[in-house]
Amino acid sequence: MSIYFKISKKLDHFDLDLEFGFDQGVLAIQGESGAGKTTVLNCIAGLTRPDEGRIAFGERVVFDSEAGIDVPARLRNIGYLFQNYALFPNMTVRQNIIYGIRNKPEYGDKAKREELLRYADEVMETFGIAHLKKKHPNRISGGEKQRVALSRAIVTQPSLLLLDEPFSALDHQTKENIYEQFAEFKKIFRIPTILITHDPAESEMFADSRILIKDGGII
Amino acid sequence: MLSPILLSLKIATIATVFSFVLGVFFAYILNRKRIPGKSFWETLLILPMVLPPSVTGYLLLIAFGKRGFIGGFLLENFEIQIVFTWVAAVIASCIVSLPLMYQNAKSAFISLDPVYEQAARTLGSSEWKIFRTVIFPLAWPGVISGIVLSFARAIGEFGATLMVAGNIPGKTQTIPTAIYFAVESGKTELANRLVLIMTIFSFVLIFGLNAWLKKRNYIGRQG
Amino acid sequence: MKKKFSLVLALLLVSVFAFTGCGGQAGEETPAAEGPTDEAVEVSISAAASLTDALTEIQAEYAKESNAILQFNFAASGALQKQIAEGAPCDLFLSASKGHMDALEEAGLIVRDSRKDLLGNTLTLVAASEKEGVISGYGSLISADVTSISIGTPESVPAGKYAQQALQNLGVWDRVQDKVVFAKDVRQVLEYVDTGNVDCGLVYKTDALVLETGIIVADLPGDSHDPIVYPAALIKDSPQAEAAAKFFDFLQTDYAKGVFEKYGFTVIS
Repeated sequence: MSIYFKISKKLDHFDLDLEFGFDQGVLAIQGESGAGKTTVLNCIAGLTRPDEGRIAFGERVVFDSEAGIDVPARLRNIGYLFQNYALFPNMTVRQNIIYGIRNKPEYGDKAKREELLRYADEVMETFGIAHLKKKHPNRISGGEKQRVALSRAIVTQPSLLLLDEPFSALDHQTKENIYEQFAEFKKIFRIPTILITHDPAESEMFADSRILIKDGGII
Repeated sequence: MLSPILLSLKIATIATVFSFVLGVFFAYILNRKRIPGKSFWETLLILPMVLPPSVTGYLLLIAFGKRGFIGGFLLENFEIQIVFTWVAAVIASCIVSLPLMYQNAKSAFISLDPVYEQAARTLGSSEWKIFRTVIFPLAWPGVISGIVLSFARAIGEFGATLMVAGNIPGKTQTIPTAIYFAVESGKTELANRLVLIMTIFSFVLIFGLNAWLKKRNYIGRQG
Repeated sequence: MKKKFSLVLALLLVSVFAFTGCGGQAGEETPAAEGPTDEAVEVSISAAASLTDALTEIQAEYAKESNAILQFNFAASGALQKQIAEGAPCDLFLSASKGHMDALEEAGLIVRDSRKDLLGNTLTLVAASEKEGVISGYGSLISADVTSISIGTPESVPAGKYAQQALQNLGVWDRVQDKVVFAKDVRQVLEYVDTGNVDCGLVYKTDALVLETGIIVADLPGDSHDPIVYPAALIKDSPQAEAAAKFFDFLQTDYAKGVFEKYGFTVIS
């Protein structure tokens, strides 16, 4: 499925004007802080509205300013890993992870529900966080939080995955471990992914294609 | 002496329930996006906190009195009289405690990191579901503060209540009203007893709230 | 930031002083040709709230004769009595009820010889404008057309006490007791009647004259209750005894009597 993205948006200090697309694998978006990378993700996710443009996931158009289409975020079926993970403090790890599943219409059907929950358990096993199920986010380490956040984002089987600097908050040692896991994850889950990073080494490691944003445009 | 106490508890409880619903509702919708005239509505909500109770009472009398646009309407069409009943007392208590509830709920809501509701949105939740599962639970300690303060204010409400509900023992004579008239008619012993009860009750209420908040240590809960 | 703050604070203080300065000018108008020659002392006068309008008018006239600054404290007689008993500064007390003055006399707080029954009042039945024609006198009170009657709370409001007395003596109290709405003072009774929230009320004639939309029905017979008397007396060992006595005399001049009668009081000679 190909992702197509064209937006222009006026920001505080400059105007964002981009157009890009990619087919599969991982697209890395690099740029300095404040270049507008998170805004790009937010537009794709439907959390921010571009002034003009068009965003499509394959055949499905989720935003088109000329046609007046703006699909709300909750219906876009994307997974988002936020920069500081944004795990709900009032819920346990498991509750966080299955939060998205519970919104699926299939959840009402008993058999389908069991299937979805089983999948969630499998994902937790894969990431090695099943033992943290009942804990609250304030009780787990940075690396564990990151894996919980990632699990939460993919367990709904989204058609697109957005990762906002997923590794930047981790210490060196944890990063090494997580890099390994992420390589595995790419092989297993195969979801088209946009990865924001300011570390060119990460981009080297994981990206199948990359774009660089500077002064509101792609270079 | 029991009747003003029971009456006060009943009136303050009902008033607080309404304060809670209205306060949380307005705090939520007025602080989302740019609502036109937000300042106007907010000022209107907070007004009873700064107006002298006699002014608030007078305005309520005009609205809910027999000739009032609400009171008169109810009287003519449903034969319901509001003034001089406990309902008037509930309305007065609710109006004066609403600002407290609103302020506390508002500050609880705006201190929440917006990223949580963003995450919930990407995970498929409707706005109402986001409110129910994420925003409200996280704002709960602030809201609880608001509830307790509202209740304390409601139970102590006097000036406006006296005007619209009057002083009818057994029907609208709340503790503060009973204290006032006991003092005015020289029944100092009764007055002292009622004052003592009110003071102890309020003290326990607020002390209990602080202890509960400390124990739950909600400050350190951000994941 | 600190500098700005002190500037604002200074401005606030200046305006506060300016206003208090203004307040003090009330009693000191430009003297007439002869000009009062006495000292500009502050005389504290505690008076029943019902005397507010009359005394304010008399005060303006008195300023032409005397430089004394009259500081009035208008409130319910009961509250005033308590204040005086607790030592609040007061030179002259005008009460709306005998009982409150008696209490002070018993406590030895007034100059006994100075005590005088200064004024009288009449109990009047007033009604909400909707009830015009429906209520014709105290006899109407027992009818089903009257669902609510407001009077001051008898234990704390003298007018309320007289009202209850009158209704008892006129033989209607038992039949109307359930309809009674007790108010915390006479102003509240007037408010209820003016806003139509009660059908009628019992107030003093002096208060009835202030009604806006409400109507005056009839005076109650004077013998249905204890005489409504406004005793006045000088307070013992007060700071401005002489100036207060001078004003007290002024209150008994023909001019003052005229003002009181204008506002609905009866003058006891």
